[in-house]
Amino acid sequence: MLYQLAVPGPIDDVEELRVLEWHVAPGQSFAAGDLVVELETHKAVVEVRAARAGILRSVLAPAGDWQRLGRPLAIVGDDSDEPLPAQADDLAAMLVEFEVT
Amino acid sequence: MSGSAAATRVYFREAIARALSEEMARDPALVLFGQDIGRFGGAYREFTGLFERYGAQRVRDTPVAEAAMIGVGVGAAAAGLRALVSITYMDFLMLGLDPLVNYAAKARYKTGGQLRVPLVVKATAGARGQGVAHSQCIEAWLMSVPGLVVVAPATAADAYGLLKSALRHDGPVLFVDHKRLYPTAGELPAEETLVPFGRARIARGGSDVTIAAHAYTVRVALAAAEELAREGVDCEVIDLRSLAPLDVDTLVMSVARTGALVTVEEGQATCGVGVEVAARVREARDGEPFRVARVAALPAPVSSNPVLEAACLPDAARVGAAVRALLS
Repeated sequence: MLYQLAVPGPIDDVEELRVLEWHVAPGQSFAAGDLVVELETHKAVVEVRAARAGILRSVLAPAGDWQRLGRPLAIVGDDSDEPLPAQADDLAAMLVEFEVT
Repeated sequence: MSGSAAATRVYFREAIARALSEEMARDPALVLFGQDIGRFGGAYREFTGLFERYGAQRVRDTPVAEAAMIGVGVGAAAAGLRALVSITYMDFLMLGLDPLVNYAAKARYKTGGQLRVPLVVKATAGARGQGVAHSQCIEAWLMSVPGLVVVAPATAADAYGLLKSALRHDGPVLFVDHKRLYPTAGELPAEETLVPFGRARIARGGSDVTIAAHAYTVRVALAAAEELAREGVDCEVIDLRSLAPLDVDTLVMSVARTGALVTVEEGQATCGVGVEVAARVREARDGEPFRVARVAALPAPVSSNPVLEAACLPDAARVGAAVRALLS
């Protein structure tokens, strides 16, 4: 099954933020608890960790791109050969844990 | 969501840091004073990287002593440097009004043009959960000081462009950065674009009513305009950007088309920005009638209780109600 990795929230005052760094490359798998992506707000860094194992299939917002809260950053999946949809909006959201520091 | 090739999307603080860094590179006489602006990078990270690049001589941490900070800035500027003094809470600008109003703003007049005071006082205004003495917007008090320019950007591009204009001006400028703008982002043009004083920006075109706002209230006015558009009311939102001098021409041209003016500000209505805007438009309209309403903070201190704070401040609902009442 495919999921979207969306910008988590709510985060105080934040409507949109910038992608700082991806820690998983497309095609790479990750385990529950792995740091997947770091996001940058106006004053803090948001660490986004996977709450379940999966494979990063496609990055929609590379480092330096901006995205609004709740909007997709990447498509993730349980396996590596399921065909990707044209857009991620209709995919279920993957559970994440996030910390603002 | 990425910006076009011609522009870069940045946080509000990054627009300020970029303007400061570029002007410090351009003018070796520019010195910055403020609390925690050095290694810490400023309360809103708007001084990030400047201490590392320009050093402790030019990026100077000060004690919590606003009268002395502005006094030192005025003296440094009068003596041949160019100074920016950062006041973390505009409420404490009150402590520095004597050097700013009585010395900086009057020096050129008093000395027959022999003394110039190229000083920018950056004062962070607005309410965000910090209570009665850390929330105020008192820019209207300063609009009546001869010799003082007052600007208040609402976007990253205008923060950059107005700050650069201020840092090249040969007299004192009050630069108001509203704290609720810091979480916002906006496009900066690829090429250096200065914003001149006295030039408003039409943030949204419309034909039924003119809403004049500045700083964070531009966003409030735009949110109200979105709601009103769904009811068929077409609002023109004018971002004043510069309060002194005021761009009366843009306001008058808009009101000539709409016949209705609503002013929005986070400071007090009494002797506020809206009073000056309405009076100037009235004078320029030469007796031609137009309807006018003011939306401002309620006449009460801003509480640190979030419910009372929100009740005190102008929001899109209050702006919408004022527009509906005016047009009904």
